[in-house]
Amino acid sequence: MAAETLKPHLFYILLALADGERHGLAIARDVQSLSSGGVRLWPATLYGSLDDLRSRKWIEELPEHPEDESERKRYYRLTRTGRAALNDEAERLARLARLARTRLGDAR
Amino acid sequence: MTRWYRAMLVLAPRRLRHEHGADMEALFAERLAAARAGGAAAAAGVWARAAADLLGARIFSWRAERVPLTVYIDERTTIMVGSDLRYAWRALLRQRGASMLVVLMLALGIAANVTVFSLVNGLFLRPFAFPAPDRLVYINTAAPKWNLDTVGINYPDFVYWTKGQKLFEALTAFDGGSFNLADGDGAVRVRGAVITRDFPTVLGVQPVLGRTFTEEEDRPKGPKAVILSTQLWRDRFGGDRNILGRTIRLDGASHTIVGVMPPEASFPDQVQLWVPKAGDPAQPYQSYGGDAIGRMKPGVTVEQADADLKRANQPVWDTIDKEHAVTPYVRPLHETFVEDYRGAVKAVGGAVALLLVVACANVAAVLLARALARRREMGIRLALGSSRARLLRQLLIENLILSAIGGVCGLAAGRAALAGLIRLIPDQFPRWAHFGIDARVIAFSLLSMMLTVVLFGWAPALHAVSGDLRSAVGATTNGTTGAPRGRRTLRWLVGAEFAVSAVLLVCSLLLVKAFDRVRHTDPGFRADHLLIASVPLSEGTRPKAEQWFAFWKDLEERARQIPGVDAAGVISCAPFDGCHLGNFFQPENPIPRPDGKNPVVLMRMASAGYFQAMGIRLKEGRFLNDGDIAKGVATDDEILSGKVPLAVVVNESFVRTFWGEGATGVGRRIKFNGPKSPWIAVVGVVADVKHYGLERPMRPGVYFPIIVNPLSTMTIALHTRVEPESVTPALRDLLRRIDPEIPLVRPRSMETMIAASTALRAAFSWMLAVFAALAFVLAVGGAYGVATYLVTQRTREIGIRVALGARTADVFRSVVASGLAAVAAGVVAGLAGSVVVATQLGSALVGVSTHDAGVLSVVSLVLVGTALVANGFPARRAARIDPMRSLRTDG
Repeated sequence: MAAETLKPHLFYILLALADGERHGLAIARDVQSLSSGGVRLWPATLYGSLDDLRSRKWIEELPEHPEDESERKRYYRLTRTGRAALNDEAERLARLARLARTRLGDAR
Repeated sequence: MTRWYRAMLVLAPRRLRHEHGADMEALFAERLAAARAGGAAAAAGVWARAAADLLGARIFSWRAERVPLTVYIDERTTIMVGSDLRYAWRALLRQRGASMLVVLMLALGIAANVTVFSLVNGLFLRPFAFPAPDRLVYINTAAPKWNLDTVGINYPDFVYWTKGQKLFEALTAFDGGSFNLADGDGAVRVRGAVITRDFPTVLGVQPVLGRTFTEEEDRPKGPKAVILSTQLWRDRFGGDRNILGRTIRLDGASHTIVGVMPPEASFPDQVQLWVPKAGDPAQPYQSYGGDAIGRMKPGVTVEQADADLKRANQPVWDTIDKEHAVTPYVRPLHETFVEDYRGAVKAVGGAVALLLVVACANVAAVLLARALARRREMGIRLALGSSRARLLRQLLIENLILSAIGGVCGLAAGRAALAGLIRLIPDQFPRWAHFGIDARVIAFSLLSMMLTVVLFGWAPALHAVSGDLRSAVGATTNGTTGAPRGRRTLRWLVGAEFAVSAVLLVCSLLLVKAFDRVRHTDPGFRADHLLIASVPLSEGTRPKAEQWFAFWKDLEERARQIPGVDAAGVISCAPFDGCHLGNFFQPENPIPRPDGKNPVVLMRMASAGYFQAMGIRLKEGRFLNDGDIAKGVATDDEILSGKVPLAVVVNESFVRTFWGEGATGVGRRIKFNGPKSPWIAVVGVVADVKHYGLERPMRPGVYFPIIVNPLSTMTIALHTRVEPESVTPALRDLLRRIDPEIPLVRPRSMETMIAASTALRAAFSWMLAVFAALAFVLAVGGAYGVATYLVTQRTREIGIRVALGARTADVFRSVVASGLAAVAAGVVAGLAGSVVVATQLGSALVGVSTHDAGVLSVVSLVLVGTALVANGFPARRAARIDPMRSLRTDG
C-alpha cells in the first residue's frame, strides 16, 4: 500500500510510537535519541506531521489520558494501518539495504 | 522568553496553532533550554530554526489547500475561451460610451508611464553602443584636500598608469575642445577632442574610412593628423571617399586627414573631429584636464580596476605628488554620465506611477458601477448553471480587452509625447541617449497593462459575482439600493483618488514654487539686455599672448562703437557657460578654517569694461580700471618679482570665506599658492555672480586684470540698449573686418543662457505639474461619475423620502455629505502623505518647506471645493426628484 516512500521524519515518528503510546514532547525526544541526534523535530513540523498522520488514520489519539501524566497532554498510538505502513517501509528499507550490500560486494 | 514564541505562532496555520499551541510552546522551550549551553549564537539559531519551521508549515498549508480547487474546474476551458472573447466583446460594445471612457483613461495613464519609462530606458538602462559596454569605466582624479571631486587627467600621471596597470586592456585620455576649421571657403568652429592613441581601441570602434592614429602621430612634434566624424565628413566634405591625405587647417595649423570615425565614436558629446594628444610625459608641471576611459579585461570588477589604478599611481606618489594630494579613481562609465538625471527621473517616475493608480481607480469605479448594474445578469447566468469561476473569467477577459486596447493607444500616445518632449528640450539630453522602442519598452508596456488589470479589475469583478446573487435576480428594478458594500467601495475608490491627487498636487506645486524661486534668484548682475559670445583666436596665426591682448583691447574698443551698444567687456570665463578655472591663493591673515582645507578659488581674467557691461554690483572699493590694464601683458617673472604691481577684485564669498562674515576686503592682500609669489592688493569687492548656475553655491572668486594671462579664446559681453540678439550681425561684421578667419561662437543673450541652465528643472517641474493636473482632473471626474451613479441608484429611495416629507435641502445635504466624507478623508490622508513624499524631493526644493502652508491650504481648498461641485450637481438633481415619477420609474 505504501507505494510512496515515507519521509524520514514521518518514519521516525511512527517508529517512536511502535512500542506504545506517547505524547508529542516524548515523541520529539524519542526521535532525537532513535536517530542519535540526527533528526530534530521542530514544533510546527512535529505537530503538523501528527495531524497529517492522524488524517491518514495511521495514528490515533487516545480517548483518555493515562492517570499519572498531567491533564493537558494528548497521547497518540499507532493504528493497525499505521503499523502496516511502518512495516512496509521497514521492508522497503531492508530490501534497499540488501541491494546496496550486494552491489557493493560486486564492486569490491 | 517563550512568550515571544507564542507571538510568533501567528506565522503558523491557524488550525495547527489552535490544536497544538501549548504543546508547541513546550517543545520550543525544551529546544531553547538545550541550546542554552551553546551561548547566544546557539539560542539565535534555535529562534531562526523555529521561525523557518513555522513559515514552512504555513507555506506547506497553502500548497496543500490549493489542491482541491482544481476539482471544481470541470468546464471545457479551452473551448470556452473563444466564446468568452466573443461575449466579452459584445458586452463592451453594448456600453460603448463607458468602454471608450475606460480605454481613454487607461491610455492616458499608460501613455504617461511609457513616456517616462522611455526616458529612463534611454538614459539608464540602455547600454552604450560599444562592444561589451559593461567593461568600460570612467577614470578621473579627486583631490579631497583641495575639495575637488574631479581634478582632471595629468598626462605624465596617465603615462604611469598605462605602464603600471595590469587589469585594463587599454586606457585613453581625452579632452573636449573646439577648433577653428578653415579649408578655403571660410572658417567654422567645430567641437573636437584631443585623444590619446588608444581611444578607438578602448571604445571598440573601427574607422569607417582610413585608419586610427599611429604611435608616431601621438608623439610630441609628430606629424599633425586629424580624424573626422562621419557627420563632418558628410556635411563639409560631401562624403568624399578620396579625402584621406588631404590637409585642413585647424587653429591655423595644417593637419592631414587620416580617417573617418563612425557616428557612435562621437562620445560623450557631438565631437566632430579628433587630433592626437601628442603629449610629452617628460615635460614638468602639466595641467590637469579632461577625462579618461578604460576598458577592463574580461571578468575584472570596477573595485579591482580601481585598486589596480591606484597601485599604478604609486610611482606618482613616490616622486611628483609626495603629499598624496591627487588620487585617481575608477567608476562605471554609464553611472558617471547619468548622475544629473537621477533625481529628476525618480520624481517624475513616481508621479506617473501615481497617475496610473488614479486612472486605474477611476476605471475601477466606472467598471464597478457597471458591474453592480450587471449583478442581475450574473445572477441569472449563475442560476442557469454557470459557475462563479466562469463568470469571473469572463469579466477578466473583458478587462483584458479594455486594458489591451488602452495599452496600445497608450503606447502610441506615449511615443508621440516623448518625441514632442525631446523636441521641446533638445539640449537637455546627452547625445548618446536613444529613446527608441526596444524589448524593454515593450515589456514595460505589457507589464503596466497587466498591472492595470490587477489594479482596476479586482473590485468590479468581486462585487459582480460575490454575495447572494439569487436575490439580485429577484430584485425586479434597478432602483433599489442593493449592494451597500459595492457603494462603500466606490466611495473608497474616490477617496483614494483624491488622496493620490493631493500628494501629486502638493509635490508639483512645491516644485513649481521652487522653480519660481530659482528663476528669481539674483544672479549677481543685470541679466537683461546682455549679449554674450565667445571669440576664439587661431594660435597658428597669432602665436603670442601680446597679440591676443592687443586683439581683445581692440575688439572691446570697437564693439563699444556698435550702434545700440552701451558697454562692452571681455572675460576669460563667463557665468552659465560651464567653464571653470580654479586656483589656490594665500590670503593675508585668514581666519582659521574649520576643515583645514584651502578652498578652490574661481579665477577669471577681466577687462576693465567687463564690470560695467555685466552690471555687476560693487560692494566696496572700486572695479578694475584702465590703469590696472595699461601696463600690458605681464610675464611670470614680472609678476613674481613684483615689477608689475597687480590689483585684483574679489567677490563677497571670497571675503566671507577667508576673512570672515562682515570683514572688509579692500586694503587686504592675497598671493598665489607658491613660495615666490608677491602680495597682490585687493582694490574692490563685488557681489557674487552665480557662475555655476542659479541653484549652485558660488565659490570664492577673484578677477585679475586681463594682462596677467590673456587667453586665446575669451568671451565678450555687450550691454545693449536694444534687443541684445539684434546686435549679433553687427558684431559678426566687426569681427570679419578685423580677421575673416575668426568665427563668432554661440552668440546669445544672457537671458537665453540662464533659461538654458534651468531648462532641465523647468522641464521636470512642468512634467510633474502636468501629471498632477491630469490626476486631479481624473479624480474630479471620478467623483462626479460616482456621485451621479449613486444618485441614480437611489432615485427610488429619495423619492420615498421626499414623499414622506423630506425637504429639498435635506436631500441635497445628505447626498453631498455622503460624497464629501470620503473625499475629506482622502484629502487629509493625501496631505499627510505628501509631507512625507515631499521630503524625498530633498534639495530639489531649494529650501521651500515641505509643509508650505500656502501650498497645503490651496491644495486642500481646491480639492474639497471641486469635490463639492462634483457632488453638488448630482445632489441638485436628486433634490429635484419628483416623488411620483421616481416611484413609477422602471416599476
